[in-house]
Amino acid sequence: MFPSARIPYGTWGSSYFPAWQTSALAQVNIGQFAGESMGRILGLRKVPSHALDYLVIGSTVPWHWKFWNAPLVASCMGRRLPGYHVEQACATGLQATLLAGAQVESGASEAVGVLTFDRTSDSPVGVFPERRAFQRTFALGDVWDNFGFDPATGRAMIATAGNAARKYRIDRKEVDELALFRTRQYYDARESGFLGRVLVPLDLLDLQGRSLGRIDDDLGVRQLTPDDVRAARELDTCVTGPTQTHAADGMATLLVTSKQKVAELSPRPDVEIQFVAKAEVRTEPALMPEAPALAVQKLLAQSGLAMADMAVVKNHNPFAVNDVIFTRVTGYDWRLMNTTGCSLVWGHPQGPTLTRTLIEALEEAVDLGGGHVLLFGCAAGDVGIAAVFKVSPGRARS
Amino acid sequence: MNRAMREPSLGTIGLGGVLDIFKLGRLPATAEELADEVFGPAGERGSLVISGSSGIVGAGKAVQLSSRLHRLGVRVVGLDFHGAPDGIRAQYPALVTAFGQQEADRIIGNILRLGYDGSHLSPELAGLRPRLLLEAIPEKLELKKAHYEIFRKEFPDLEVRSVTSGFPGSELGVGIAHPSFPHQINKVWEVVEPKPSAITRLLWALGMIPVPVSDHWSFVLDVLFCGLTHASVRYHRTSNMPYWKIDKWVRRLLGPNPFRAHEAIGARGSNFLTWSCLHHLGLKYGPLFEPTPEFVEHKDAGSDWYPPGHFRPLVDWKLSPAEESDLGDQILGPLFQMTSLVLHENRARLDHVNAIGELCAQFRRGVLAVARGAGPAEVLKRVAAYHKIHPEAARGAWHPEVFEAMDSPEWQQLYVNAEHDGRVGVITLGRESYNQDVDRELNRAIDWLQQEGIERVILTHDFHLATQLVGADTADFHPALRSEDDGIRISTDWSETARRLHNDFKVSVGFAGGKRCLGGCLELLLHCRYIVAREDAELGMPEVTLPVVPGMEGCHWPFRKAASAHWPELLGMLLGGRAVKARQARGWLVDHAAPLDAALATAWLVASGGDHGLPERKLVEKALQGLPAGVPGLPEAGSPGVEAAREAILATVRAACGSDLPGALAIQARHSAAFMLSDACFHGRVGTDYQKTQLI
Repeated sequence: MFPSARIPYGTWGSSYFPAWQTSALAQVNIGQFAGESMGRILGLRKVPSHALDYLVIGSTVPWHWKFWNAPLVASCMGRRLPGYHVEQACATGLQATLLAGAQVESGASEAVGVLTFDRTSDSPVGVFPERRAFQRTFALGDVWDNFGFDPATGRAMIATAGNAARKYRIDRKEVDELALFRTRQYYDARESGFLGRVLVPLDLLDLQGRSLGRIDDDLGVRQLTPDDVRAARELDTCVTGPTQTHAADGMATLLVTSKQKVAELSPRPDVEIQFVAKAEVRTEPALMPEAPALAVQKLLAQSGLAMADMAVVKNHNPFAVNDVIFTRVTGYDWRLMNTTGCSLVWGHPQGPTLTRTLIEALEEAVDLGGGHVLLFGCAAGDVGIAAVFKVSPGRARS
Repeated sequence: MNRAMREPSLGTIGLGGVLDIFKLGRLPATAEELADEVFGPAGERGSLVISGSSGIVGAGKAVQLSSRLHRLGVRVVGLDFHGAPDGIRAQYPALVTAFGQQEADRIIGNILRLGYDGSHLSPELAGLRPRLLLEAIPEKLELKKAHYEIFRKEFPDLEVRSVTSGFPGSELGVGIAHPSFPHQINKVWEVVEPKPSAITRLLWALGMIPVPVSDHWSFVLDVLFCGLTHASVRYHRTSNMPYWKIDKWVRRLLGPNPFRAHEAIGARGSNFLTWSCLHHLGLKYGPLFEPTPEFVEHKDAGSDWYPPGHFRPLVDWKLSPAEESDLGDQILGPLFQMTSLVLHENRARLDHVNAIGELCAQFRRGVLAVARGAGPAEVLKRVAAYHKIHPEAARGAWHPEVFEAMDSPEWQQLYVNAEHDGRVGVITLGRESYNQDVDRELNRAIDWLQQEGIERVILTHDFHLATQLVGADTADFHPALRSEDDGIRISTDWSETARRLHNDFKVSVGFAGGKRCLGGCLELLLHCRYIVAREDAELGMPEVTLPVVPGMEGCHWPFRKAASAHWPELLGMLLGGRAVKARQARGWLVDHAAPLDAALATAWLVASGGDHGLPERKLVEKALQGLPAGVPGLPEAGSPGVEAAREAILATVRAACGSDLPGALAIQARHSAAFMLSDACFHGRVGTDYQKTQLI
């Protein structure tokens, strides 16, 4: 897949993902924030932004001046790049990366920036004329009203988790155990310094140029005890506060380039990161948490790869039941995956979620000396998406 | 025969030395004499034509020159295309603010505007007897040449000067008088001509600062300023840092904010000018100057460098120490390299190169002062580091040998010069505000005069780069806002230098010949045994308004020289912060105040030991008794900061005057330093400037 495209190692970065309404990100134009932050992150990675020739942005929550999409965000980065906007709910980050691969593969671009972002805090409210409805006009809060109602099924997002848990007869004890385990994984990664290599603290300014705050923590994450998890009220079958994600704000960026550009831009051009395969499925109505597992099954069948071939496995798991179902479907032990943390723990700003997950996965694969990286997740509409990347071992670090 | 540490600045425009001014008892030329020479005798004077008079440069210079020439009966003719936006009229509100409506009307009324179609001159022009054309049309070589031809055909004897910022006179076939932004008020002109002309001297006599530069592409200002902008854009290219933030870092490092300056001038025009300068410099000198794609883009689009108002910057760019060092390499490295080219080509005298940066390009310290402060090894290190990042820049225009001469008087005396005739010396300050560079140079000048056996000295401004003395450069106080030791060091060092004027000479005369002598500069002059001033010079200690406590012995030294009956006036000046005219300060602050020529003559008489009849006001060295407790009728402080400063100044006066002379220096330094650590100072002008420029 996309044999000409590569992800240059070390040219990526993500903001921390503070939970919604907890940080200064709740007050900013997230498109501007993303554009300016991308310039900053690339600067820290010693990548001149003028090396880019295209920008794919991804976000799901409307933001001020969204109409002007990628070109505007590129201007906020300080570059007049062409580009477009992609949106596929929580699959956005991965889909944007894959589309960037296609852009390079087509020969249209040599160096494509992938920039994903969302602000779930204070999401805009759309006012929609509906002549067929007796109310005539609907006001829709973009994040929470959409979470609460899938118009295709009439069900809420959380209900899909309950449905799936019942279908797979999942025991809440296992789900609670998983949530505790995932939290430990996150804190272990944080304490090891791993997250510090991926996440970039960003200082925000107010209109007067004074400090508005520093985005330097995944606010909203907390250490859990078995008692915390056990005591949590069940909102639907196997779904509690600790066993589901939380809305968050943030951005994440990486580059997709031609093979030649890697040598110019990457601090370790000896590390080669290739696109291998991709699959998507849409499962039965209101069973979203099983869709990623089915997408992985399809992907393995398509590619001839097996789970045993994977060096790193990570997913976007808004519900802990996602991972339990994944194990049920593929037989792959959920304890072996998401070793540096996951969106269940650090939150879910939608657009950049899978981008950060991918960055962490690639960084981990390089640490491990290379191998296949499996990335997958669910998305609104009972969709599952999965992709495999191959990371070469690179030269041994001195 | 006169001797000098280096040639006086005034000499470079054919006006001799400062010592001669005192000896002659008058300035070397007057505006009337020179107007006769340039425009013809009074009553028959011809006119000054400014073509492109609606543009930023043309309009600015039209009003600036008209404000001076109208008194001499010289009409200014503003020439521009029919229908060009009226740039001259737009200056009117600022003129009213500066001069009042009546004078503003006279200035504007002296400018006659004529239309022009690009190929024919108005028949009316002949009747106005043009004598000098100041060409300010767009930077297009062929266009300019064709323009001169049109004029020469009709007015063969017309003197022409181009305001071009880039083209050498040899390309244009005319002399250059390149002014600096903001054109309405900036007095500096880079002048290219084979020898100083009457036009150049007239500019000086009109209160301008003409500075001779060599006939090379882009002259000194644009090499330095466009070069700095270029270095900043190159830094953007390697770091992605947005231009607004680079401005802040460059301002912290050097003083200018190059991108904001482009927008203040007008992005469309200034982007083109900068690109044009860099383009031509690039063609001649290679990659060091070649404009980056960003310049081309901004030139073509005429676009601003800062984001629009609805995208006020959101993400800050803090730098680690390593990143800051890299920024230093990428900004200072090319700047030092460009400086080496300027010096290698002898584009201007060193003090002039330095002053151009300060007076025209917002440098806190001129580029040579910065290089000198760094030292030759550091300069070479910076350039080498820059060449590592941009190896192509090393291919040309790099002359490291020029920095080997840093010990020469030309390098060492960028601001202060000294001359003597074997008996009387004159020390001239070429910088209107006093800073550590000036302080060190002043000490070297005193040392030199002593080595030359001179016991009589006049201290004054240099009548060229500095025509008044406005006080301390408060940027030098920034370290003192955080460290008492730094505050004490500055106050002590400067006071000790000032005391040398009293202690190291048999006779010393402080001469305030400009419009103002204020703050630290007045404190400095007060240490001379005599003070002679132009009678309308404004003398004052505005420190209380900043607020700071005067640190150069202003809180006790003048009291020791004045009769106790005058102490309330001294105290009123310190606590009120208002200046007085020199004529009102006779006997308690100055020893003599008179019209300029008479003041010059008196200063010379005193210094040379002639019969001047002025008694020396003796310095009382013991503790003073009976100081007033306050000043009756002092206006309300108006702010807590001023209130706090008044209290602190009063306490300093009491403590320092209450000590003997040897002990007073340390007392005053401690008080001054302590106040700089106060909230009042931090939230005042000095602190605000510090926060704005340094805490970024």
